[in-house]
Amino acid sequence: MLSYLSRRIALSAVALIGLVVAVFFLARLTGDPTNLFLPIDASLETRKEFAQKHGFDRPVSEQFSRFVQQVATGDLGYSMRKQRPALELVRDAYPTTLKLAGVTLTLAIVLAVIVGAVAAYRPGGLFDRIGSVSSLAAASAPDFWVAISAILLFSVTLGWFPTSGLGDFPYWVMPVIVLMLRPFGLLVQVVRASMLDALASAYVKTARAKGVRERRVVFVHALRNACLSVVTVAGDLAVGLINGAVIVETVFGWPGIGKLMIDAVIQRDFPTVQAAVLVTATAIFILNIVIDLLYVTLDPRVRHQ
Amino acid sequence: MKEARAAFLIPALLPIALGFVTTNVQAADANMVTVVMSEEPEGLDGCNSNRSTVGRVTKQNIVETLTEIDPKDGSITPRLATSWSKVDDKTWRFKLREGVKFHDGASFNAANAVLAIARTMDTTSGGTKSRGTGGLDCETRTKSFGDLSIVGKAIDEYTLEISANKPVPILPTRMGVVSLSSPNTPTDKLVLSPVGTGPYKFKSWKSGQEIVLERFDGYWGKKPVVAKARYVWRSESAVRAAMVKVGEADIAPNIAVQDATEASMDFSYPNSETTRLRIDMSQPPLDDKRVRMALSYAIDREAIRGSVLSKDVLHATQIVVPSINGHNPALKVVPYDLAKAQQLLAAAKADGVAVDKQLEIVGRINIYPNATETMEVMMSMLQSAGFKVKLRMLEVGEWLDILTKPYAENRGPVLLQAQHDNNNGDAVFSVFNKYACGGAQSTVCNKQLDAQIAKASTLSGAERRSAWQEVLRIINEDIAADVWMYHMVGYSRVGNRINFTPSISTNSELHLEDITFK
Repeated sequence: MLSYLSRRIALSAVALIGLVVAVFFLARLTGDPTNLFLPIDASLETRKEFAQKHGFDRPVSEQFSRFVQQVATGDLGYSMRKQRPALELVRDAYPTTLKLAGVTLTLAIVLAVIVGAVAAYRPGGLFDRIGSVSSLAAASAPDFWVAISAILLFSVTLGWFPTSGLGDFPYWVMPVIVLMLRPFGLLVQVVRASMLDALASAYVKTARAKGVRERRVVFVHALRNACLSVVTVAGDLAVGLINGAVIVETVFGWPGIGKLMIDAVIQRDFPTVQAAVLVTATAIFILNIVIDLLYVTLDPRVRHQ
Repeated sequence: MKEARAAFLIPALLPIALGFVTTNVQAADANMVTVVMSEEPEGLDGCNSNRSTVGRVTKQNIVETLTEIDPKDGSITPRLATSWSKVDDKTWRFKLREGVKFHDGASFNAANAVLAIARTMDTTSGGTKSRGTGGLDCETRTKSFGDLSIVGKAIDEYTLEISANKPVPILPTRMGVVSLSSPNTPTDKLVLSPVGTGPYKFKSWKSGQEIVLERFDGYWGKKPVVAKARYVWRSESAVRAAMVKVGEADIAPNIAVQDATEASMDFSYPNSETTRLRIDMSQPPLDDKRVRMALSYAIDREAIRGSVLSKDVLHATQIVVPSINGHNPALKVVPYDLAKAQQLLAAAKADGVAVDKQLEIVGRINIYPNATETMEVMMSMLQSAGFKVKLRMLEVGEWLDILTKPYAENRGPVLLQAQHDNNNGDAVFSVFNKYACGGAQSTVCNKQLDAQIAKASTLSGAERRSAWQEVLRIINEDIAADVWMYHMVGYSRVGNRINFTPSISTNSELHLEDITFK
């Protein structure tokens, strides 16, 4: 197990370095940020002076060499746009995204497992039909439209929840529900399909023949096996959420990593882009290792390999 | 048993996940106003208060200027200076207001004003955090001063003399954009917590969430009614409008036209922005005046107004709005005349001009509400007149690369969607950059025009106004450098709890002292 983990960490580190190098050069391909930093009416002399001062007129190889030296000392750069160290910006934004992603994914998994399992228990029944249609609708609904519609309905018309912003429980309801719809819809489909397979398998028939109680057959024997595919899909969905729920963060005014990254890319705020990608990629590598460990826990066959 | 525990593990995680939920909701405060802006300010340094996101928080709230530009007519009124006089072409003397204190207790006097001006104009000190060797890149300097440099000198405690490196006939106007910070403000870096002399002092900034200002009890002027102001930001116009409607915010200075649906709350105001298609006159067939005029005749501006754009926009004939010194009211809107456009094109073609060459409209996504739709309509109108034209919409970074010199050599004939904001009182802030040979965004190079611009820049009073009017006439009638569109309007939503009337300055400033409660 230890050697497996070491190998995964080493591979992840190599991939991480490759990613950071790629982001550095790809970001610079978008052009010189001088025009974006200076006011639109700045003179040619001011632009030239600014580019010279901040090294934007230097060859990219020279900029890269300076970047590597900084990273080696733990310095991911300073955001001239936000006038703060880039890592500090990422550090401030990440907890918001992680909290939102954590709550959303937990709720999505719990609800999807319940709805998917019950739907699969009686395929073609009323609950299955309602569950299938609603999960498909949830997986297909555009976040942006749902978010704005929810604000207009639940905040403006009904006055049930605040429109946006960070705060206590009522502030979480709409962002979490809007963000949860797609993962929930996808997971219900996955759980349902996996459960149908599991319930038709020989070990479930054997368990029933041995007189095991039906609830135990469904929720222990069948569901545990069905969970393997849920972990795979939930892992992918978690990666998407850790990358930042850009639309939900933007509409509801949540200062998360997705919004920070998008703004930094548009504004060519290179240090912030680089710091955000580095931290996000590290989080995703850690998440992937956790998913691998979960596989080992859930599936003895993997453990014995 | 073990399996049963595992089966219940996931539901057990639910309360743990919900435990992450924090509480930081704002307590309601009867004397507090909440302003919802479209984006978080990038900083709050007084020397960047020309930037609209910064200025709406800081300008004349936290930091003040020597003079103030009246948004209605561009006239200059006293603020921290009570009077001023010209010493010579390059020098002015300002009498400063007495008894004024900065929020940190420092006195406002000529010596401290000298320091504040020096900080704003600094190009040499170099900030440790800006990793460079050349000043703070203050927006006030880079936007409004260009190669003009000024330096202050204290004549006595309340008399300030300001000298420039070249003749500066409108220095009192220019000082309306220079915000003065405390002498204790660091000179080697921009600050996130500004200290000025204004009616409000900075209290806190919770990154990504809110900025709070508090009334300054030691303010020299009339005590404002609003005790505290909270600034939040939401990217979506519909959300900003909704926040004011339900009472979560009191003012949304900027909402989209489609969200301005509440007659009792929504105000339109001329926002000092002028829109146009900039013609790249160096590229054939756009180097032919008949072709440029044909572009203007082909646009049905009335059809766009009230459909794609607001019905309140005004037809533009020049780069500055009517309240700016130098605006020429005699210039006429080019009428929509398809036959005339086709006739001009045919005449140009008969003389060998390559009118069949593909033109490209380059637009900027969201430069104003419905920007893409507007360009699509204009492209269609130009095609109807016989132009071969395509549209390319860009993000701001790519668009700026095309707007600003150096231009790409193989760029081809480009019509650039552009918008310009000038609420600084004088045409000088617009014309050189856009139309002089050395202007950073100019596609015009005309020696006669350059001479006229140079002359107008040195004049003052009525002569100056006439000279700028002549400059704008040459650009519009003799050269036909643009396809003029509109002087734009902005929409603000103001809640029912307060009295506040948006004006042209709301585009870049929001004076809390003007707000009262109902």
